[in-house]
Amino acid sequence: MNDKLLTAYKIFPIFFVFLIIFFVFPKGVYSAGTSNFQLEIIPGYQCYDGQDNDNDGLVDYPDDPGCSGYTDNDETDAVAPYCGDGSCNNGENCSTCSADCGQCPSGGGGGGGVSLPATSVTFSGRAYPLSKVTVLKDGQKAVTTIAGPGAKFNTSITGLSAGNYIFSLYGEDNQDQRSTLFTFSVYITIGATTNITGIFIAPTINVDKKEVKRGDNIAIFGQSAPNSEIIISVNSDKEFFEKTQSDQNGVYLYNFDSSVLKKGNHYTKSKAAVDGKITSFGKTIGFLVGAKNIIKAVEESLKGDLSGDGRVNLIDFSIAAYWYKQTLSAKFASKEAQQLNSDGKIDLIDFSIMAFYWTG
Amino acid sequence: MIQIQQLKNCLAALLIIFAVFFTTAPVFAAEISLDSQNREIGIGSQFEVTVSLNTENEDINALEGKLFFSGNLLALKEIKDGGSIINFWMEEPKQTEKEIVFSGIVPGGYIGGSGRIFSAVFYAKKEGKGFIEIRNPKVLLNDGQGTETKTKTSILKIAISAKTPSVLPPEKKDIEPPEDFLPEITRDPSVFGNKWFLVFSTQDKESGINYYKVCEGKRKCVTAESPYLLKNQNLDEEIIVKAVDKSGNNKIVVLPPQKPKIWYENYLYLVILIAGVMPVYIIRKLWKKYFGKN
Repeated sequence: MNDKLLTAYKIFPIFFVFLIIFFVFPKGVYSAGTSNFQLEIIPGYQCYDGQDNDNDGLVDYPDDPGCSGYTDNDETDAVAPYCGDGSCNNGENCSTCSADCGQCPSGGGGGGGVSLPATSVTFSGRAYPLSKVTVLKDGQKAVTTIAGPGAKFNTSITGLSAGNYIFSLYGEDNQDQRSTLFTFSVYITIGATTNITGIFIAPTINVDKKEVKRGDNIAIFGQSAPNSEIIISVNSDKEFFEKTQSDQNGVYLYNFDSSVLKKGNHYTKSKAAVDGKITSFGKTIGFLVGAKNIIKAVEESLKGDLSGDGRVNLIDFSIAAYWYKQTLSAKFASKEAQQLNSDGKIDLIDFSIMAFYWTG
Repeated sequence: MIQIQQLKNCLAALLIIFAVFFTTAPVFAAEISLDSQNREIGIGSQFEVTVSLNTENEDINALEGKLFFSGNLLALKEIKDGGSIINFWMEEPKQTEKEIVFSGIVPGGYIGGSGRIFSAVFYAKKEGKGFIEIRNPKVLLNDGQGTETKTKTSILKIAISAKTPSVLPPEKKDIEPPEDFLPEITRDPSVFGNKWFLVFSTQDKESGINYYKVCEGKRKCVTAESPYLLKNQNLDEEIIVKAVDKSGNNKIVVLPPQKPKIWYENYLYLVILIAGVMPVYIIRKLWKKYFGKN
């Protein structure tokens, strides 16, 4: 008996530690849609990458004599340059060394400019079938593309400088609903092509009722990639997870039985999984469980859209910036109450709300 | 006895584990840190301090703060916001007395361990011990509600000594122009009395944007900030916006007239018309007078 008791006391702490680890620590690392893409950097040429590849203290063309041009992929100095070595470098030109640099042009006329390797980034992944996909570069629209019937898209941006960029992507579904932003930070290397693949934009979501009579169904619907598994979360004191499948057009619909919910405010959101890839949760939509059904009207104005043009971008930022730390006029205070946090002033919180609903 | 001892050991271990996990449970908080290559500085030296953000895996989209420095020992030489994670500044880092005030947003949010906000170059005026610190930091989550997250900061202590040799930071030449951008003309009842204004913003990945110039038609170009109230409310002239970085590189964007003049509204055409028609009329009159009746 004592042996059994002792064994139990030995096992119990281990079990207790396991419980603590499982419940106290957060499950996984928080990400904002960044966990699903892959980044591949195709380096530029050695003679146009900003690096001293051969450690001779000289960097790239035309400074390093080992480089015959920007597209030379070997900075190594073979021998000391001289006129007649076949390389037009080391300060040689058509006048000083025609053997290496060729004869100088006889007439005027231009042409013959040096073409530099392009610095570019490509994006590919999944959105919704035939949806418009927009790419923002540092918060401003850079390029838009249309996804194919299978929801796959591919686009690129060229002519970039080297440096840190913040790219955001979003899709617009067949009801013109926008997804949340899929945002990530990338360092772009000069002369290199950066391929970002495996982007999977979160589903759009909406509900058919603003208020649902407790016990009736509320329709939760939206769009994602075709034939993907949609995981729907409905939040109350207890979180409910339901699953459904999107059809060949990526459309999904789930009738949620509100009888399991208490009266009051609730929220729902969804994510999609297909071919081993999974999105993060998208937009959160609120609804009320009450005593009657109220159909949801056409979408209310977008939060942060001070200009009323259906977008949240630099124009709205500029309107808010005009009133930043100023006493609001009665007219603008009313707008602030509807579109921002209704505290009667424009401060960092209002801009944070605007940044969340940003569309570019 | 041995079994009781083993039991006591188990319970003790359990208590220790309980204390560790429940009293030191991790709390996520963002951190705005200061970093400099130099902590011991010679009189007359210049050194650069970088202000960075570590979001500690939280998704943030707005921040503000003040960088305070010992004004009796240090003078601010330059602020560099090139390559910042901040896409739009409500308050671009600028000196006001002994502090640099800054606030800005990152639309879409940012998660990272070393996001550059800006850097400041200081000049060591005299010997002594001083500090540089961030005050009143505020970092908000990208959650649609502007929820504030706990923010840690640190103090950078510096020692200026006559014995330490004076150095200047290495100069890095910026030959890249600012990024492409597209200014927009718009109006809103709550801004400038519903008059047309221009909004524009771009970034420079190296030295940072220095200023913008706006040229409306044939008017003199002016240094401008966004939002900019247009002088020509008819929008019938070309607008040129030039972004210039701190190394003098520039990017120019030309907006065509939004409401081009109808040809007869253009005075030049009228002058040409009159100048063309008048001689013909005069010649015809003279011809009739001298040759017409014969």
